[in-house]
Amino acid sequence: MTDVLQREARAAARGHDAPPRSRVPYLRTIGLYALTLWALVTLVFFLPRFMPGDPLRALQDADSGQFIYDAQERDKIAAYYGLDKPLVSQYRSYLSDLRKGDFGWSISQNTPVATLLKKRLPWTLLLTGSALLLSSTISYFVGITAAWHRGRFADRALIVVLSATRAIPEYAMASALLITFAVTYPIFPQAGAQQAFATYGSPLDAIGDVLFHLALPLAALTVGLAANKFLIVRNTVISTLGEDYMVLARAKGLSRRLLKYRHSGRNALLPFVTALGIQAGFAVGGSLFVESIFNYPGMGTLVERAVTARDYPLLQGCFILLAVVVLIANLAVELTYAKLDPRVRRR
Amino acid sequence: MTATTVTRAPAPGQGSPRGTYVAGAIGGLIIAFYVVLVLFGSQLAPFRATELAGPSLAPPGGATRLGTNLLGQDILSQLILGARASLTVALCAGAGTVVLGGIVGVVAGWFPGWCDAVLMRVTDLVLIVPKLPLLLLVGALTGGSVLGLSLVISLLFWPNAARILRSQVLSLRTRTHVRAATGFGAGTWHQLRRHILPDLTLLAIAEFIPAAGRAVGLQAGLAFLGVGDPTLPSWGAMIRDAVAFRALFITSAWKWWLAPPVIALVALIVGITLLGAAAERRLSPRLVRHAR
Repeated sequence: MTDVLQREARAAARGHDAPPRSRVPYLRTIGLYALTLWALVTLVFFLPRFMPGDPLRALQDADSGQFIYDAQERDKIAAYYGLDKPLVSQYRSYLSDLRKGDFGWSISQNTPVATLLKKRLPWTLLLTGSALLLSSTISYFVGITAAWHRGRFADRALIVVLSATRAIPEYAMASALLITFAVTYPIFPQAGAQQAFATYGSPLDAIGDVLFHLALPLAALTVGLAANKFLIVRNTVISTLGEDYMVLARAKGLSRRLLKYRHSGRNALLPFVTALGIQAGFAVGGSLFVESIFNYPGMGTLVERAVTARDYPLLQGCFILLAVVVLIANLAVELTYAKLDPRVRRR
Repeated sequence: MTATTVTRAPAPGQGSPRGTYVAGAIGGLIIAFYVVLVLFGSQLAPFRATELAGPSLAPPGGATRLGTNLLGQDILSQLILGARASLTVALCAGAGTVVLGGIVGVVAGWFPGWCDAVLMRVTDLVLIVPKLPLLLLVGALTGGSVLGLSLVISLLFWPNAARILRSQVLSLRTRTHVRAATGFGAGTWHQLRRHILPDLTLLAIAEFIPAAGRAVGLQAGLAFLGVGDPTLPSWGAMIRDAVAFRALFITSAWKWWLAPPVIALVALIVGITLLGAAAERRLSPRLVRHAR
């Protein structure tokens, strides 16, 4: 599902869809993101309300076991849940609740959704954040090196292997890693984020334990992300190698390291950062799968539980939170992008 | 993404063209194999997907050639019958994505000005929507039938195809034969039908294949997380059942319960990817232009 990335990055790099920049820098971008967030939040509100049936259907249906005969009693229940109010005022109170951080009440866990989200989000952020960081570091340096040694056996082998790897879904990758490194060769733990009932002697032990449990999920998520960015970096760097400024820099007698990272590597940064922005969404999506495989206590297992129990308030809360995370990450990348590219800044 | 720049495009094709085509042929063979499974699945499968075929967690061998799951259902039969869900979603969601993207791309490309501007802003908006969480939510609310999922996938993933097809329409508009036809007084409909759409077909096919591959991964992933038609055998649901069994890795049942659906799924997705790479190389004008 990540093959879009490269194409996207390529398209963005070529700039054939350049939107007209507004005078006020960033305002347009921020506006687009705010609009998207509003559209998603509104969708979450209206979607269940346009589905057939409503929460009090059973109380009003004479054939149902939960039928309440007394009309006054029924009205009282509807008023208690605010379901007797017009849609617009329901929408308004939904928005004001969201602003206060009130995501409603989880049906299956009988806990406020916000409490559950607060407990789970840090683990997902740890997993996705470190996966993005690790995959970026690896793909950037390996990509530049592969471009520098293009056509060699190692370069060609990497391309073939990684082109196939990036098509493999995260849950398949996670299952394979789990089977290999936790079952067949039990080096790493099979599940969880910490040793159960552990008491740590020092904070260092705690960090070590968390990292030990993080290793496999992180690897499962990183491989796909790194493969994509590797191909982007490699191809961009190759396209810079024939440029005049490279020839000049070489003629000046600059060191190989300067040539590699300062002159060609920096030019690979732009498509790379574009890819990073698109990948933020993929990483969050992928972490849902990886967490479910490794029973990692993040959003993924929470979403899975919400789906299994058809716990809609919890699912909606998860969705809104994940959407906010992805949108913020994307926005941050786009603003960085403007900083990185003097041409975008100037316009 | 709205961030743009004008840096040189990365060199497109990787590996030799010949290698790409050989890989594409292999991909085509893999897909053909799955198509046979779908067409003759009910004859090929020794059992029905939910039928009690043997003892619980029987290892491979005997009547149940790939063993059974916790409920004693035949893995091989589930594997064969699960191909249908994957290929259906590949076909429907792939086609839906390209058709939606095509409509938006052609309209935006052919009518510049406010129409193009509005459509491209909508495209930007849909591009940044977090897709998997939204798919999960909508899928859980609507029940997640294969056709419903295909529709939602199409509604979320059309922007890529729209952008690529739009830029192709923009380039076609300026070709001499199209301008000549305009000079002879050809109407919009005639132009689109005779001059634009035929030239877009190959590009649309090149867009269809990766969209189909993505849809396969998404459908299985959603089924794995619990969004899907529970009556329909699917590889994602098999993986879900296997992983949900807590003692999976204490016994060696994962060898015949978890591994086969994962392998089947990865093989199909890799097959589609290989075919897609070959098709893109052959069909996409962008790459033909850049090919060295």
